Amino acid sequence: MSGHDSKYFSTTKKGEIPELKEELNSQYKDKRKDAVKKVIAAMTVGKDVSSLFTDVVNCMQTENLELKKLVYLYLINYAKSQPDLAILAVNTFVKDSQDPNPLIRALAVRTMGCIRVDKITEYLCDPLQRCLKDDDPYVRKTAAICVAKLYDINAELVEDRGFLESLKDLISDNNPMVVANAVAALAEIQENSARPIFEITSHTLSKLLTALNECTEWGQVFILDALSRYKAPDAREAENIVERVTPRLQHANCAVVLSAVKMILQQMELITSTDVVRNLCKKMAPPLVTLLSAEPEIQYVALRNINLIVQRRPTILAHEIKVFFCKYNDPIYVKMEKLEIMIKLASDRNIDQVLLEFKEYATEVDVDFVRKAVRAIGRCAIKLERAAERCISVLLELIKIKVNYVVQEAIIVIKDIFRRYPNTYESIIATLCESLDTLDEPEAKASMIWIIGEYAERIDNADELLESFLESFPEEPAQVQLQLLTATVKLFLKKPTEGPQQMIQVVLNNATVETDNPDLRDRAYIYWRLLSTDPEAAKDVVLAEKPVISDDSNQIDPSLLDELLANIATLSSVYHKPPEAFVTRVKTTAQRTEDDDYPEGSETGYSESPSHAAEGSASSPTSSSNAPYSTARQPAPAPPAPAPAAPVPDLLGDLIGLDNNAIVPVDQPASPTGPPLPVLVPASTGQGLQISAQLTRQDGQIFYSLLFENNTQIALDGFLIQFNKNTFGLAAAGPLTVPQLQPGTSATTLLPMVMFQNLSQGPPSSLLQVAVKNSQQPVWYFNDKISLHVFFTEDGRMERGSFLETWRSLPDSNEVSKEFPGIVVNNAEAAIDRLGASNIFFIAKRKHANQDVFYFSAKLPRGIPFLIELTTAVGTLGVKCAIKTPGAEMAPLFFEAIETLLAG
Amino acid sequence: MGILFTKMFSSLFGNKEARILVLGLDNAGKTTILYRLQMGEVVSTIPTIGFNVETVQYNNIKFQVWDLGGQTSIRPYWRCYFPNTQAIIYVVDSSDTDRLVIAKDEFHAILEEEELRGAVVLIFANKQDLPGALDDAAVTEALELHKIKNRQWAIFKTSAIKGEGLFEGLDWLSNTLKSGGG
Repeated sequence: MSGHDSKYFSTTKKGEIPELKEELNSQYKDKRKDAVKKVIAAMTVGKDVSSLFTDVVNCMQTENLELKKLVYLYLINYAKSQPDLAILAVNTFVKDSQDPNPLIRALAVRTMGCIRVDKITEYLCDPLQRCLKDDDPYVRKTAAICVAKLYDINAELVEDRGFLESLKDLISDNNPMVVANAVAALAEIQENSARPIFEITSHTLSKLLTALNECTEWGQVFILDALSRYKAPDAREAENIVERVTPRLQHANCAVVLSAVKMILQQMELITSTDVVRNLCKKMAPPLVTLLSAEPEIQYVALRNINLIVQRRPTILAHEIKVFFCKYNDPIYVKMEKLEIMIKLASDRNIDQVLLEFKEYATEVDVDFVRKAVRAIGRCAIKLERAAERCISVLLELIKIKVNYVVQEAIIVIKDIFRRYPNTYESIIATLCESLDTLDEPEAKASMIWIIGEYAERIDNADELLESFLESFPEEPAQVQLQLLTATVKLFLKKPTEGPQQMIQVVLNNATVETDNPDLRDRAYIYWRLLSTDPEAAKDVVLAEKPVISDDSNQIDPSLLDELLANIATLSSVYHKPPEAFVTRVKTTAQRTEDDDYPEGSETGYSESPSHAAEGSASSPTSSSNAPYSTARQPAPAPPAPAPAAPVPDLLGDLIGLDNNAIVPVDQPASPTGPPLPVLVPASTGQGLQISAQLTRQDGQIFYSLLFENNTQIALDGFLIQFNKNTFGLAAAGPLTVPQLQPGTSATTLLPMVMFQNLSQGPPSSLLQVAVKNSQQPVWYFNDKISLHVFFTEDGRMERGSFLETWRSLPDSNEVSKEFPGIVVNNAEAAIDRLGASNIFFIAKRKHANQDVFYFSAKLPRGIPFLIELTTAVGTLGVKCAIKTPGAEMAPLFFEAIETLLAG
Repeated sequence: MGILFTKMFSSLFGNKEARILVLGLDNAGKTTILYRLQMGEVVSTIPTIGFNVETVQYNNIKFQVWDLGGQTSIRPYWRCYFPNTQAIIYVVDSSDTDRLVIAKDEFHAILEEEELRGAVVLIFANKQDLPGALDDAAVTEALELHKIKNRQWAIFKTSAIKGEGLFEGLDWLSNTLKSGGG
């Protein structure tokens, strides 16, 4: 039986994959090409053909461009699932990146960037380096983008291989396409890096402005975005830049226009001349208006951006309100945005026109839009005092239509208007009361009840009106209950007659005993106690004068608005949220004190109506947790508190253009005790500022220990430091943090340093050129001497065995020795300790004739060992030092260091 | 009869390509040999991370020559190329005496492969131009070629730089393949 059944498991049919495999290995080129096409077809419909990886890759070396492209396509898709086998493609990449055909070179470099396999990235650096310097601009531009992709996979590698420098060089390329792509790549890298990488200098600025006129529209967008981050040093340069960019406003591509607007708005902040600003505002209006004739989706994006722009520069579109009038066939999302902008642009001059529009909208069919239109009328009334009366008459006309939701919405906004202009328009209360029965929405009900309570003394039948609501008290929603409670108390305080007295009994009873809503109960208890202890005090509290409310339709927090304006033409400006709120980046976002304020800020930015603020302070139907009407207890929500003053390092970080994240806590390492620092800029040359400095090593890290002494008559601040290229590539790991120096004071600081940042070419040199500047004085340049021993790492200790082995394995040409006739070692132990403190580790000692021979080991970063042999007779002058190291060119520096250390 | 024979050959070798693998440790000279055979000149090479494949026409036979990278990290992937292989050219750096043992081990591991059972083996004792290079007899000894059973093989002294010995090896290979050894 079982013998028979086995046939079900073996089949003569091979299945698709083995068939494809066979065809891929065919002798015939055509058959192979067909097979690859079949594989790609299978791949695009979602079949897993990753098991054919090697077979497809084997078809990669071909003269046939079509076949090559298909294989590359396959690679991009499957390299990630076969990371080990991806290495088989490397050699072909290398070859293709040197192909005589630039299209193939670019194809290779582009695919390399798309293959996100860490194991092979290292092999791809050489081809990439070549392609960055390719003769063909298309290859160079593709390589530039590839650098950005590589940075995402392995940032360190990109920096070590100097690709960032190559990218920066490409900004000066003579081909505008290359420039634009280099800018795009650098911007992308900058977004993912905490360090400042892409900074526009006056040199690159002119290159970018030139390229701007010649490159493609999308290239222009990248360049404009980069330019908008450039901080012009003065108003004149800002004007120049703007002048060069204004022609972009006429571009047919909306993205170019918006980026140009962003760039101009940013530079305008620096321009002081009001004439120039006015002129620019005039120039920006037509392009923005033109955006509104595009498709609705683009209109929406434009409107969201315009919303921000008019908040900062209302004058730009002050005369263009007509273009924001809603068309009957606009999609609802466009209409809503247009309304928002109309409110922002409404002024005494155009309010009649605007009200006519709003009234029109309030009779349309879309309920949400109608409601928003009614609210818009209310917001205009609150915003424009002189127009309030006209607004109210429009609202009354609308109420007369008796469309239920219009009436309810109108009552809600009228409550805000009453709150804004107390004791002005009470004559209309009677009209409102007519609609009392039709109210069924909690917010409208609560608003109406608030009005009745607030003006109880002028409504003859206020008690009857309230009573009609009281019947259903237990079933009402919380906000209505709260309003009823407050209104009844007001009524009672204003008309302490029998009717209200009974009512208040009922209400208080309902609100304390019958409810399980703690807000309602607490508020009721407070009223109860107030009323029972001191009715006069209750009057003072409940009927106190309320602070004036204002329209909050411009309520994006200024700092948030700044950030959003800097992000015009991005998702951020459409969402009205800062990018961090919805994009997670690899970059470790460190302390940003303002961050905490954004959610709040953006919320206010989003708030659809002014009544939030108004309610908060007026009848507060929604904010149930608020205490009842006390005197000044409920002001309109205060704008978010200004961001707490940023700590000093942040300010300095901003000054130097560094991201705050780069700051290494500098206070933690104990400040250097020990010998005083050598004076490098004496007060006589530094116009009274004396600078002493020395490199030190603490806890495995290199610091530049600095002492500033201010002997001038003025306070000095804004200290910045810069290091020239040097043998070890030493650079500051963060900004210099020096507090303001008052005359006669001094400050020490430990500046953390990093190596291999700005390496100089040429033979090793101990020269370290430093520039220090502050806001009051010219730049001070001085030379320091790098002592090699600060680089010796803590892991430089060698075992005897490996010491001997390394010594033997190094050729004799790597041995260098030097005599120090002037040095004497008096105490061998002390000398060994001293060297050990500098990470030169003692290994062994032997006697040779009448002399002692000591062996030490040390190690430079990146694993360069130093084997050291010191020969001396203790107590007598003269030490001989022999070293053996693969880095023999460092020997002179080493001898300088050891001489210093031995001399102690 | 003679005409029939030529026809058979052309059908076998005229259109069809013989698939040859060039294997060996890194820095043995595989890529240099490949391009010496293909273009007749010495190209400057870098370590092959992956493979090169070229078609070499010689003695009326089209060889599809696969030069595979010899680095330790890539050797495991050699086996991806074993199916349908008619011949292996195993290249040895005759001057690299230290690593001859490794070369031997890799070599015998290849011979063990089932998929290569029918493949003929040509060994190039390369880099004969370098001083201290072992001759073919010494390489034969070091690689323990005498242990090869049931397989046609040959060893040639070569210098890819000078172009010596390569085509003699290819002569042997084409003759062996033509006579049905593959």
